[in-house]
Amino acid sequence: MKKFRILGFLFAVILVMVVAGATRWKAVTTLNIDYDEDDYLRAAQQYTAIIRSGELSGFLETNYRPEHPPFAKIILGLSLLSDPEKPLTPDHPTSAEPNQYLARDLLRTDRVTNAIFGIITAGLLALVNPLAGLLLAVHAWTIKYVSQIMLEAVPAFASLLCVFSYVLWKKKEQNRVNGWLVMSAIFLGITAASKYLYGVVGIAILIDWWIDAAKAGEWKKALRNILIWGLLGVVIFFLLNPYLWPDPIGRLKESILYHSAYAQGASEVENAQFPVWQQFIWLSTSPRMWQADAFYFSVDPIIAILAAMGLVTTWQKHRVYALWLIIALFFLLIWPTKWPQYLVTLSVPLCLSASEGLNTILIAPIRAWILQLMGRKNTIIVRQKSEFRKALPWLIPGFISFAVFTLVPLFYQLGVSMTDFNSVSIKDGLNGGIWREVWGGITGQIEVALQNFPYRSKEVHYLGLSNFKPVFDYLSQQQVLFNNILWTVVSVALQTLLGLATALVLWQRGVKLKRAWQSLFILPWAIPEMIGALMWVNVFAPEIGWLSLAAQKYGPAMPFSFLLGWENSPSMWLVILLISGVWYGFPFMMLSASAGLKMMPKESFDAAQIDGANALQTFRYITWPLLYPLLIPAIIIRGIFAFNQFYLFQAFRIGTGTLATLSYNFFNPSGFFINGQFAVSAVINIITVVILIGFVILFNRWSKADQGVTYA
Amino acid sequence: MRKYLWVRQILGQIFLIIIGLYVIVPIWGMLRLAFDGSLLSRPTEFRFFPKVFSLEPLFSVLDRPYQSVHFTTLLKNSLVVSLGAALLALVLGASLAYAFARFRFPGRKPGLFILLLTAVIPPIAFATPLYIVLSILQIRTSLLGLTIVYAVFAIPFCIWNMRAAFQSVPRELEEAAFLDGAGYLSTFRYVTLPLALPSIAIAALISFLMAYSEFAIGWLFVDKAQTVTLSMAIYAMVQSGNAQPWSILGSLVVIMSIPVILVFVIFQRTLLERMLFGALDS
Repeated sequence: MKKFRILGFLFAVILVMVVAGATRWKAVTTLNIDYDEDDYLRAAQQYTAIIRSGELSGFLETNYRPEHPPFAKIILGLSLLSDPEKPLTPDHPTSAEPNQYLARDLLRTDRVTNAIFGIITAGLLALVNPLAGLLLAVHAWTIKYVSQIMLEAVPAFASLLCVFSYVLWKKKEQNRVNGWLVMSAIFLGITAASKYLYGVVGIAILIDWWIDAAKAGEWKKALRNILIWGLLGVVIFFLLNPYLWPDPIGRLKESILYHSAYAQGASEVENAQFPVWQQFIWLSTSPRMWQADAFYFSVDPIIAILAAMGLVTTWQKHRVYALWLIIALFFLLIWPTKWPQYLVTLSVPLCLSASEGLNTILIAPIRAWILQLMGRKNTIIVRQKSEFRKALPWLIPGFISFAVFTLVPLFYQLGVSMTDFNSVSIKDGLNGGIWREVWGGITGQIEVALQNFPYRSKEVHYLGLSNFKPVFDYLSQQQVLFNNILWTVVSVALQTLLGLATALVLWQRGVKLKRAWQSLFILPWAIPEMIGALMWVNVFAPEIGWLSLAAQKYGPAMPFSFLLGWENSPSMWLVILLISGVWYGFPFMMLSASAGLKMMPKESFDAAQIDGANALQTFRYITWPLLYPLLIPAIIIRGIFAFNQFYLFQAFRIGTGTLATLSYNFFNPSGFFINGQFAVSAVINIITVVILIGFVILFNRWSKADQGVTYA
Repeated sequence: MRKYLWVRQILGQIFLIIIGLYVIVPIWGMLRLAFDGSLLSRPTEFRFFPKVFSLEPLFSVLDRPYQSVHFTTLLKNSLVVSLGAALLALVLGASLAYAFARFRFPGRKPGLFILLLTAVIPPIAFATPLYIVLSILQIRTSLLGLTIVYAVFAIPFCIWNMRAAFQSVPRELEEAAFLDGAGYLSTFRYVTLPLALPSIAIAALISFLMAYSEFAIGWLFVDKAQTVTLSMAIYAMVQSGNAQPWSILGSLVVIMSIPVILVFVIFQRTLLERMLFGALDS
């Protein structure tokens, strides 16, 4: 049995490497030449020349693009040795357009070298978790940047190996220095000597170490090991970085200063004008938008969503990887330049977390279901059969009405989503055109038509699943999906904080006017959302709103005047919407928290008071642990509401605010948008439903709502 | 210690006052409009209080027509559609709710999952196919069509709520009635239904409120002024801009919202539980 498992495991690893090989080979052979590829090819050629001439002292003075350490470039140089010599690639500034006249054979060799590192990385990750390896094998951003002449592939590989060996060391002999620890240190050095940013794994390992030491209380031994590991890492870094040898401090300083100057001054950084959270936007898109033919398919946004769902499990199972992901994300947030290749620093833990997420929401439930099916006892089946017969008279009429009024519209929608049905072709569609095309398309009698978005044809055509592509393109161009998720997270977080704070203050003993305050605070919840939204429009509307009128009367020095002119700045839009959205949503969280607080046993608080706990400790150790299982279902429900938020955006006339708003405005034949796109709206609704499935799974896990508490 | 408590009280009250202001500002902004008799069009200057306090706009709403439709018609449309939708949702959902509440049957768990999912799908995702289906049936722009649309929005949520209502009736009571010789239907009719009725009423209430305060999606199902509901009239007024005094708009908002607010304040705890889909039960 054990042998079987090992064989299966090996097979999975090989499969992952084959998939990784296929995806990367396609990328190597088809990707257009990108920025920086000429620079690193030039750097590699310089090293090749040094090795060929035999004057190894050249290493001391050579490091083209000195902002990055030389090791990855040396590797690229080594791999060029077997190729014929070509004239040195000319020196261009970093802002120049990609150089299209690179020597093709050299380009191929170096790309392949990088891709091999990428394939091994995926295989190595498959050793940790085969599913994670598979996800890394198909992660399009990673594919792109490890298949070009970039400096990502080598440090990505080394950083994984560094963590990998560290984990093995931790499993085996916590307290001794052994081969694995040495290996971890060596690869830490290699990582740093290839690209500095990848050094975040070192920080993740340190924190992991610290947590373990704090738990075990063995500081001394831990400290000794850390010192050995760290020093060895630094030594290796120095050894692999010959450029530093003549003037270590000066040249290190030079490269670091370059980064800060680059971030502030370089024209390409300024022109890009990326917001702070740009890396999250990259995560929610994929490089297919630039060159679709270089990737078989792209599931990057799904991987990102799954990773968010799996983070908690990853923390429990592979803490150091979770730390890696969190710290790398944090670094990318504060790192002033926002190039998408930096995503490769975290794509390994991202895919691991995504595999855990996939496991939680899909694989584990299915497995449990199958086990349940296999292990079901006969007696239960008998009992169920008898109840089934009893239930039948209720089920049949109930199911029919539910199907007719709820399921049929949804299935009809699925059909519409596979066509180009729009307000111009409404006559054909209503006369059976939708049915004709969908049936014909599914049975293969009608070929997939090519229609340009927005659809304006007079007859309905079958588009099949190809309809999803223009919609996804539109969604990522307008960043609708990203904005929708940003809105959900930020607004629900604020609502929860405010609701919880209010509930806690009202819950204190002896607060005056408790009931009056509470009745006042539930007003926003009681007011219909559309009315509440109109009220805020009445406050904020430019020129005619209360705020603008006040500014006309009292001049610009009055309080809140910084909110004026919000209509000209995207981030102020967000602030205004958040003010309104939080106003509408926080009472629900307050009521939920109050309901939870009421259910708490008084005794624990008395005991805590007797033991001399202060307010903060009481909250941290008693209130919060008791409260959060009750609060989380409320947060998820609020999350669903916020995700579907419609009237607020409609009142402020933001057509692309959420998927629901977008769907409405695409649909509405007399709307203020690209209107009457019935099929597109159907596609968006289907995407919404798919995302909501994730929400409902989460909700079920936390509330057990589907178990039916009292039915037996 | 006493002094410390006072400090806490004051800090707490300051926090509550700030939150209270946040809550009250937009409401006050609308109320101020509703009671200002001096407005001829949009407000042109900043005021905390109405310039001329007057109840006149409030009453003028009642006899001033919206595009030749009188307030009574608007209210009638609103009530017909909302009550109709609530009733339809109850009737159509009851039997499925009972089946889910009482019986164990294959496919029960996936069924509940689908039910929960359909309950959280945004209304627009139902509206778009209904638009087409009802167009084919040629009832899209009638009050009946609108009623069906709102009923469809409400059905899943309504089933979920009625299921909770039926579950709260002790099973033993039903079994007792059964032993006394009552049939399934009469047990349901005379034992379960009366006991669950208060909770079912809440489910109906929620469905009613959903339909009563909806405007944007209903807009797709209206092509003449005669079938416009109250909340749609408000939205239309906002769209039409400065054609009439904003005090009318404010008054209409006040008149429309007051019943809803009352319901929420009175039934807050129950409504909260229902909106949490029973997550607080355990």
